[in-house]
Amino acid sequence: MVLSAQLFSFFTAGSLIVIGIFAALFLDNLIKKIIGLAFIGDGVNLFIITMGYKPGGIVYIFLPNMTISNFAQTASYPLPFALVLTSIVIGASTLAVMLGLVIVLNKRHDSLSASKILGDERD
Amino acid sequence: MSIYDLILKRIREIQGKTEEEEPLTNISASSMLTAEITLISSILIALIMVRLINKALMIVLVIAVFFIALMITPIMPKLIREQNDSFNNMIFYIVLALGILIALFYWGNLNV
Amino acid sequence: MDPFIPIMVILPIASALFLNLLHKNDRTVKILAIVTALVLPIIPLLTGYGSHYFGGYAPLSQNSAIAQGLPSLITGTQLFIFHPAITYVFASAQKVMIFILGIIAFFAVFTALNETKKPSGVYAFLMFMGTASVIAILLSDDIFNLYVFFEIAALAQVGIVIASNVKHNYETALKYVILGNIAGPLLLLGIALLLGVTGNVNITDIIYSIKHGLVNPQNPVLLMALGLITFGWLYGSGLPPFHTIKSALYSKALPHGAALIQAFTVFMMVALGVIILRIFSYLPFSKMAIIAVSLLALVLSITMAIVQTDFKRILGYLALGELGYIGIGLGLGTTLGITAGLFQAVNEAIITAFLFIGFGTVLYKTRTSDTRKLGGMMFKNPRVALLVLLAGLAMAGVPPLNAFQSKLMLIQASLQAGVPELGIIMILLSIVTFMTFMKAFYTIYMRPKPPELVIHDYKIPKATIISLVAFLIICLILGLFPQIATSNLQTLASSLV
Repeated sequence: MVLSAQLFSFFTAGSLIVIGIFAALFLDNLIKKIIGLAFIGDGVNLFIITMGYKPGGIVYIFLPNMTISNFAQTASYPLPFALVLTSIVIGASTLAVMLGLVIVLNKRHDSLSASKILGDERD
Repeated sequence: MSIYDLILKRIREIQGKTEEEEPLTNISASSMLTAEITLISSILIALIMVRLINKALMIVLVIAVFFIALMITPIMPKLIREQNDSFNNMIFYIVLALGILIALFYWGNLNV
Repeated sequence: MDPFIPIMVILPIASALFLNLLHKNDRTVKILAIVTALVLPIIPLLTGYGSHYFGGYAPLSQNSAIAQGLPSLITGTQLFIFHPAITYVFASAQKVMIFILGIIAFFAVFTALNETKKPSGVYAFLMFMGTASVIAILLSDDIFNLYVFFEIAALAQVGIVIASNVKHNYETALKYVILGNIAGPLLLLGIALLLGVTGNVNITDIIYSIKHGLVNPQNPVLLMALGLITFGWLYGSGLPPFHTIKSALYSKALPHGAALIQAFTVFMMVALGVIILRIFSYLPFSKMAIIAVSLLALVLSITMAIVQTDFKRILGYLALGELGYIGIGLGLGTTLGITAGLFQAVNEAIITAFLFIGFGTVLYKTRTSDTRKLGGMMFKNPRVALLVLLAGLAMAGVPPLNAFQSKLMLIQASLQAGVPELGIIMILLSIVTFMTFMKAFYTIYMRPKPPELVIHDYKIPKATIISLVAFLIICLILGLFPQIATSNLQTLASSLV
């Protein structure tokens, strides 16, 4: 099996997602859980970018010395890059919200343990 | 002792295991009973839908689930304890559901 | 291209940004919020049906100016009819749903501004951003655009819970956003798999590719995509296994916030459910999975609701149980079934908002939501008690109120589809829902007041009473004339079969 760059990249994306789910599930420290969630987002973004890979593809900028058919056949796929830009921004904003909440909860409970802070509340 | 007192005693025993400090009121006892009966009857009626796949299988399943339910009753207190607000509990069931969903869709769809 | 279609999304977002900026200027915040909330339900009634292409880039087949200069490599293939721009589609079903969402948003904002001492620009910002995102989710024909607004709606819901100052709200908000950061990226992964197989993010084009054999419909990557998108749908809708965190979210928000959050949940469930049906209904397993999850939601949520002691949790679990009816309607897959499911969604959003705001008056006067400590509220506010009782009867499906019509249609649809067992379960759980509501109503309103309970003498704001009466009038109108809604929803339902 030829290990092309794209296949290697897909495996990396998959492992990032699995490591992220493992961290979110099993680690007790809140910050480590949140880093795990960032891994999941990064894994998915890497997956999307890798889909746009084309062996020998050119950057999708239409320069004056190109013909339309030549450009259409050799340019790599531009849509994933636009999607991933938005997705990174969304990931950054949810990360900010989570970290803000962790700051407040740490001040209140004086601990970063998920089982203590996010455990069952006796209402 | 009448049947109602027996049921109350059993519910108190189970709730005693969940460290309830409140005295057992009639309302909470009847709620627990209603929930139990609703759960078991809904499961049995939903199992009758299996007749669309195989009628014999449906009969076997309904009788089996009926007797299992009678044996492991009460189910509700265990269900309530499992569906608590603890994050670890939630994420366990969520990842379990993800696994079941992916496995069912990816492999289960090949024969349907 | 009707210009009002993007205005439905842009207006609340712009208004939200201004409200956030003008926070602390109480009068301006109040006026701007009320004006926007008033205009929001009116816009869908004035908008003509059609599609809106952002940037003006209609498909090449409709845009001969650009198409002329292109080689046949592009114009001779399906690329000629594919949508290059983000497309919003506005039809009769979207009109009904956006109108109802606008009404609920109006009354939620109206109640919020009058029940708190100082109107909060930031809180209004969150409510309007959430409403704008759900409107965009209902309109969008572009699945990635839908994902972006899905995440914005989740953040808005978290914000509404954080702003409520209820005990343990920060913990619940953190749990919700952590779970959302698992489900959201996995939904995006499903969308990425769809993009990888079909080369499109426009839903109409994806369906075209699958139906016309451009991709293999039984491709295992498509099955994986279905599984992941369904998982994201479960998160957005509060179906099991996400029902515990969703009901915790409802209980940790203020009543008007909870009314709005549940409206978001219902319409997100409908939008994503319809999209799953549109793309994947050729796989019979998809409909079976929707019915299975909805049955689980019905049974688990309503049995959990019976045994709760906090009335906000009771309401939260009942609201999630009602989502099960919607799912059964969508999963049956017949025109009558899908119409009934969509109608049930519209009704349920109104009735649950009605209940949340109604029971919120109890919280307003007693500052406690524990049914073990409440009692005797009937003598303090007999008229509000009557309104709440009518809301409960509406949820149970008593004629001439609206849920009777939708539940009847659902049961007829299940009989017509040859699965009467679903009809029996729906009737059984309706009875249990009514029993749960009566239990809550009795413990709060009808039994004698416990001596330790302090009922403050705050007068319930007129705004709340007006909201409750308006919801009751809408329930009556939809109950007596269901064709107003079902005739509009039927077009969408028949296109899905």
